[in-house]
Amino acid sequence: MMQGIHHNFDQQQAPAFFARGPSPLARLAFFTALSLALMATDSRLQYLANVRENLITLLHPLQVIANTPSQVYRSTSEYFSTHHYLLNENERLKKQALKQDIALQRLNLLALENANLRNLLQANKTLVETSTLGEIMHVGRDPFTKKIVVNRGENHNIVTGAAVVDATGVIGQVTRTYPSSSEVTLITDKSLAIPVQIERNGLRAIAFGHGRDNTLDLPYLPANVDIRRGDKLVTSGIDGVYPAGLAVATVSEMRTTPDSPFARIVCIPTGGIENHRQVLLVSIPHTESETNDGNANSEKNKLSSAVKSSTGNPIPANNPSANPVQDQSKKTNQGIVEKNPQKPLPNNQSNPHAPE
Amino acid sequence: MRLSKLKSIYLSLLVAFVCLLFPWSGLALTLRPDFMLLVIIFWLLRAPNQCSVGTAWFMGLWVDLATGGIFGQYALAYTVTTFFAVIYQRRLVLFNSTQQLVYVFSLLFMSQLILLILKVFSGKEFLGWSYFLPSITGVLVWQIAVTFGLNTGRHSRGQ
Repeated sequence: MMQGIHHNFDQQQAPAFFARGPSPLARLAFFTALSLALMATDSRLQYLANVRENLITLLHPLQVIANTPSQVYRSTSEYFSTHHYLLNENERLKKQALKQDIALQRLNLLALENANLRNLLQANKTLVETSTLGEIMHVGRDPFTKKIVVNRGENHNIVTGAAVVDATGVIGQVTRTYPSSSEVTLITDKSLAIPVQIERNGLRAIAFGHGRDNTLDLPYLPANVDIRRGDKLVTSGIDGVYPAGLAVATVSEMRTTPDSPFARIVCIPTGGIENHRQVLLVSIPHTESETNDGNANSEKNKLSSAVKSSTGNPIPANNPSANPVQDQSKKTNQGIVEKNPQKPLPNNQSNPHAPE
Repeated sequence: MRLSKLKSIYLSLLVAFVCLLFPWSGLALTLRPDFMLLVIIFWLLRAPNQCSVGTAWFMGLWVDLATGGIFGQYALAYTVTTFFAVIYQRRLVLFNSTQQLVYVFSLLFMSQLILLILKVFSGKEFLGWSYFLPSITGVLVWQIAVTFGLNTGRHSRGQ
């Protein structure tokens, strides 16, 4: 019997109550050091971007599973939506389509006219951009940042920096891409700045996200600046990232205090950041051609036409003659034009202010 | 027996992780309890040999990945929190349910506080007191689970 007990003890080595491995303090020190090292690496160096991408890819099936219940709920509620509601919506959409058709016809005309005028002035061609429709998968989980995750990623040619717009205005910018999804930082995030222009007087400024409530700030503008309540802000396009003329925000508050040389301007974003499911991801605009120097010019032209043929949706360049471009690139340009004779700005539906 | 327990630990952690991945938004996002930390605390009380500081750190990394923040923030918050859970584990098991509830609340609050400090250091802004609401909802979830018969280790002394 004694032997039996001994045997038991040998097998277990120590009673389970005491078998705890390294002390909690040692573990704490080890894992804290590890976390701190990770934080430093991730925030200062770029080594972990790849790791993150791969892990997110691993996580994607889980994400799909987690999204299933809400999707099932949505599709069933859509299925059971009332006849009346659908009729109303249909009516509304038809009216909207009619209005936009008219605006679109005028836009085509203006785009042609604009191209001609630019040609006469020998100015640079307008910027072109392509766009992809995406759906919001979920809102960012970190309460400290304003982010959304969209179901389009590197596999759909989305690159970081692409502007994200919905039917009413700019909502953000792609800041991280994964193979089949991408992370969009909203314009209300504290770390995002967007170059804007006051629609009324063309004044340029930079709008910063406020971070806490869904507003934007226009800091560093003098107290006597010509901005009023209700002024509309549109993207200025001088950054070369956002297409020009997209609605961004409306000024809701303009206050000056005697002790500060700067005005305090608060704006409310136009885009329904929390309302829509579908968003448009607009690629970074690139010029059709440059006018001044011939050599660098033809290089760029080739490049841009190559990009266009790979991504589709070019803009009409019905006057490739203003500058001394090489024959070859001219041909490619025209070829593309013939394929898509009527395609002004790809994002024209989302953007009533586009023509300038 | 040990193997099946290990399995249920990982399964419950996976379920907690999927809960985190649900498309929360709006008010639900502000109220969302930290399921992952709740499950980790539960297993720390029930099975301190299988689930420990290392497990918490590892799961924290996955939460970091899911939230898209800097790697190591949740991991550090979970590590420190579970350390305090582990050193008081034997006493916690002897607590009655109210005391245990208070302790769980302070653990949840602590993890949020650590996370807040880390986020503020990395340039974020304090979001107002509603930031701490998940601690309260977390304790509610804990109480609901206990009411529905989840054994949080109080009666497992005899094992």
